Amino acid sequence: MKFEEINLSGFGKYPKARCRVTRPPGIFEINEILKTDSVLARGLGRSYGDSSLNDKGVVAESILMNRFIAFDEETGILRCEAGVTYKDILDTFVLRGWFPAVTPGTKYVTMGGAIASDVHGKNHHNVGSFSSFLLSFKILLASGEIMECSRTQNSDLFWATVGGMGLTGFILEAEIQLKKISSPYLTNRSLKLKNMDELFDKLEEFDADYHYSVAWMDIVASGKSYGRNVLLLGNHAGSDELTNKLKAISSKKYIEKKISVPFEVPFATLNKVSITLFNSAFYMAAKNKIEFVHYDKYFYPLDFILNWNHIYSKSGLIQYQLNVPEDKGKEAIDKVLKKVVAFGGGSFLAVLKKMGAQDGILSFPFKGYTLSMDFPVKKGVVEMCKVLDEIVVDYGGRNYLTKDSILDEKTFKQMYNGLWEKWMKIKMKYDPENKFTSNQARRLGLCPS
Amino acid sequence: MSLLILGANSLIAQAAAAHFAEAGHEIIFGGRKQDEPEKYAGDFSIRYKIKSRAEYIDALDYASHKKFIEDLLAKTPDLDYVLIVFGYLGTQDKAQADFTEAHRIIDTNFTGIVSVCELLAAEFESRKKGNIAVISSVAGDRGRQSNYMYGSAKGALTVYLSGLRNRLFKSGVNVLTIKPGFVNTPMTYGMPLPKPLVASPEKVGKDIYNAMIKRKSIIYTPFYWKWIMFIITSIPEFIFKKLKL
Repeated sequence: MKFEEINLSGFGKYPKARCRVTRPPGIFEINEILKTDSVLARGLGRSYGDSSLNDKGVVAESILMNRFIAFDEETGILRCEAGVTYKDILDTFVLRGWFPAVTPGTKYVTMGGAIASDVHGKNHHNVGSFSSFLLSFKILLASGEIMECSRTQNSDLFWATVGGMGLTGFILEAEIQLKKISSPYLTNRSLKLKNMDELFDKLEEFDADYHYSVAWMDIVASGKSYGRNVLLLGNHAGSDELTNKLKAISSKKYIEKKISVPFEVPFATLNKVSITLFNSAFYMAAKNKIEFVHYDKYFYPLDFILNWNHIYSKSGLIQYQLNVPEDKGKEAIDKVLKKVVAFGGGSFLAVLKKMGAQDGILSFPFKGYTLSMDFPVKKGVVEMCKVLDEIVVDYGGRNYLTKDSILDEKTFKQMYNGLWEKWMKIKMKYDPENKFTSNQARRLGLCPS
Repeated sequence: MSLLILGANSLIAQAAAAHFAEAGHEIIFGGRKQDEPEKYAGDFSIRYKIKSRAEYIDALDYASHKKFIEDLLAKTPDLDYVLIVFGYLGTQDKAQADFTEAHRIIDTNFTGIVSVCELLAAEFESRKKGNIAVISSVAGDRGRQSNYMYGSAKGALTVYLSGLRNRLFKSGVNVLTIKPGFVNTPMTYGMPLPKPLVASPEKVGKDIYNAMIKRKSIIYTPFYWKWIMFIITSIPEFIFKKLKL
């Protein structure tokens, strides 16, 4: 087997670690590595921090194991290998009237990654996360045994693996339920709102009527403009609602137009002036309106710019995503936002949305509100995030491990109190020697360092 | 219409096959590892809603080739396109020290392909139509100390294909010699290659599809390898032999 030793990082480009990376074509090769080394499966490396890094063993990229296995045209149930991506599914099935029931904000995510992070989308408040539509999966255990897991079969391993950050085994195959759609378009309603009070009122008023809902918030503005935001509400558009022009486009194969940031910018393009302009411009340009939006633009606006993370120069970025309980949620988010504004804001807009209940043991979502932001890595950022951690813990909230790069073990265990212990028992049952481990898992005390 | 791939695990072949599949062709994945070609056939039949199947073939089991081609043509009489990507890079140092390795490099990259090509050529020649495309390599354009075992087998293949093309031209059968440069595949994985010169399998696959459809004779892919190899082959031998290449 061939290995490549490289300075690897997640999508945030922070932190970096020297890792031995390989691309196993199948189970035989993964078993070979397990004989001598610890292993961490990695898909397309879209998690932001160090959850896809393993500098004490091998990082095994799943990209060669990316084949569809079975599809039922009647029921929309798809079985595929774990390296299949959202892009593969969209390119193949949208024209046939099927759509991923839950999608994250990029289509460059594998099904293995979607399980390990138990990804959520703009419809979490209505339907839950990826695992709600995951019927079963096949996983390779440290012992070499291959297990099929579902809600009824090896269910302890099922619930420990969804949101389990790839630490229970090597996910090989997934069976998922797709959602029936009749057009590739969404009806999007934009509401330009002055502050957080308006936003929370509108979320209450509209969330049940719209399948998708998310708010983009200006996290630079202070004073009278503090907390201004744009709420985007959407539903899948029926083919009969579309204009003739859009109907004609819908029936043809969709061809993406993409641009790329070809190299890391050598200096910080993101400074006080540029991020203030960006945040303001977004709000100023927003209008109260209803329009048809193609799914690619609706769900994956940043995929349009390949390698958009390059604008963060070499030092990279920290993504920070928290979830706080519904009760006092507004108060908690207000506290966090005030800290961020006082710090000088994040780089892009913050994303706020309402979350529903969730079952996976380490799955991030629970009923409440989530806020996600990104910060260029610079002096004081980590310290500021630590202050945010305290607020999150105080309010009984938690951070998303897929975005995390800085939580310490104590804070993590407070955030996932009662859950990490439950998860650890199952981990010890199926992987007692910690053959599956990551830099993040060692930092958080989920695996010994 | 249908396409036969020999060497189903190749990412380059799969990328080329994707274009044929989108145009509605049946795809037959021939390969040595039993279950891998089947997985690709299953994937293609779902992804592109086409007919696709797997067939077992070992490039080095010459005696089996005749029956393989006969059975294949019996099942798929309308076979028009064949893309052969059998290949083995091997290790130059090992091949210098151990003739078994050298032999395997020569046989996989040359002898096995000649065996299959002759059988296909006879069939296509009598039908007076058909397309044979074979992946050779820029490494076959000039021998270098770092990989002349692989390079010489590919060089022989290039010469063989040139002769075959000359023979089959009058029968209306096209023979395409494909010379890829560095491609990001498991074969080159982990090698210290100059990144700007490493192409994606998708790019190379698209070039191959276009060349097959347009019935080209020789292509370099990506195109700039034609100029790189022009320079490399133009260096006088008395200088070339002193270079560390």
